[in-house]
Amino acid sequence: MSTNDERSDAVIAGLAQIKPAVVPMMPSSTLKRILEWVMAQPDIRSFPVTREEEAVGIMGGLALTETPAVLIMQDNGVGNFLTALTTFPVAYHLPCFVLIARRGGINEYNSMIHLISERVPDILAAANIRTLTLDTTVPITEWTDIIVKGYAFAQTTHRPVAVLVNLMGG
Amino acid sequence: MTLLSRAEALAVFAELFPVEPAVITLGATVRELLATVGRRENDFYVLDSMGLPVAIGLGIALGRPPARGKIVVVEGDGGLLMGLSSLATVGFLKPANLVILVLDNGTYASTGGQPTAATTTDFVAIAEGCGIRGFESSDDAGYRAALTAAKAADTPTLIRMHIDQRSIKTPYLLEDPVRVAAPFRQLLNRERAESGI
Repeated sequence: MSTNDERSDAVIAGLAQIKPAVVPMMPSSTLKRILEWVMAQPDIRSFPVTREEEAVGIMGGLALTETPAVLIMQDNGVGNFLTALTTFPVAYHLPCFVLIARRGGINEYNSMIHLISERVPDILAAANIRTLTLDTTVPITEWTDIIVKGYAFAQTTHRPVAVLVNLMGG
Repeated sequence: MTLLSRAEALAVFAELFPVEPAVITLGATVRELLATVGRRENDFYVLDSMGLPVAIGLGIALGRPPARGKIVVVEGDGGLLMGLSSLATVGFLKPANLVILVLDNGTYASTGGQPTAATTTDFVAIAEGCGIRGFESSDDAGYRAALTAAKAADTPTLIRMHIDQRSIKTPYLLEDPVRVAAPFRQLLNRERAESGI
C-alpha cells in the first residue's frame, strides 16, 4: 500500500500539470503536504479563504475571467458550500474544479468527523455534483492522470467537478 | 436629511460607473437596477446565492487584467452580513481594483422587510479593520464623493450608503442564468482579448 506522502505527491503531480494560476485553500492537516507545495509555487496565487461557500464565489468569479483555478478543501466543508455551488457555478454553467480530501474513514483520529464525511459522496450525488474518487481501490499510478482529466472535465462540461481524494489510506 | 431610495442610489451608481463591470446582488436590487437604468452588458446579475457577491467580485478582481480598472460589487446590508467574512479575504489580498458598494436600508427588503443587524453593525469599521478603505454616507453629495474617491483609490474600498426602505414594483427576472450572464461574459472575454490574454 502507498504511504500518505506518496498519495499527496501523486496529487501534487496532478496540480503541477494543471498549472492553476489561483488556488483558494481551506486549512487541513490531511492536506498539509499539498498545501505547502502550493504555497511554495511562485506561479500560483494561493490564499486562505474563510469558508467554503466564499471559495465557491471566488472560483466562480475566476471562471468568469477564464482564470485556471483549483479549490482545495476537506469533505467536512461540503455542507457549507452546497447552496453556493448549486446556485452559482451550476446555475451559470461555470467550471469549478475542487480537490476534496476525505476524512472520517480508516485511519481517522477525529471521533466525530465521520458524521458528515462518510456521507459526502451521497450528499454530492444527491446534489447532482459530478465526482471522481481516488482511494485505495484506485492504483496510485493513476491518481495524477485522473486529477488532470478531472480538471479538464470541469472545463469541457462547464460545471463543478470534485475529486474526492483519500490521503489517509482509506 | 432625506435618504435616497435604492432605485435612486442605483441610478447614481450607474451614472458614475457607466462601463465598469459590476456584480449586482440578488432580488429587488437586480430588478430595480434593470427598471432604473436598463440592462447593461457590464452588470452581472446574481439571481440567487445570497452572501456571495463580494466573493464573486473578488474572484473577478483577481482574474481580470489589473489595467482594466475597477470592478464594483453592489451588495445589500443583509447580503453583506451573510458573507461578512469575505471582507477578511479581500483585506488579505488587497485587490486595488475592487469597490464594494453596500446599499444599506437596514432590512431584508426582498423578503418582506424583516430587520437586519446592520443598525448595530459598523460596516466601515469592520472594512477598515480588514484593511479595506471605508466610506460612509447618507446623502447624495456624500455618496457621489465616496463613489468618486473609490473609483480613484489605489486600495480596495467599501462604501456604506444609507438608503431608505422605498422600493419600486418590478417584475421577477426569470430568465436562464446562463443567458442573463452571457453579455457580461462576452465583455470580460473582450477585455481579455484586448489585453492580449
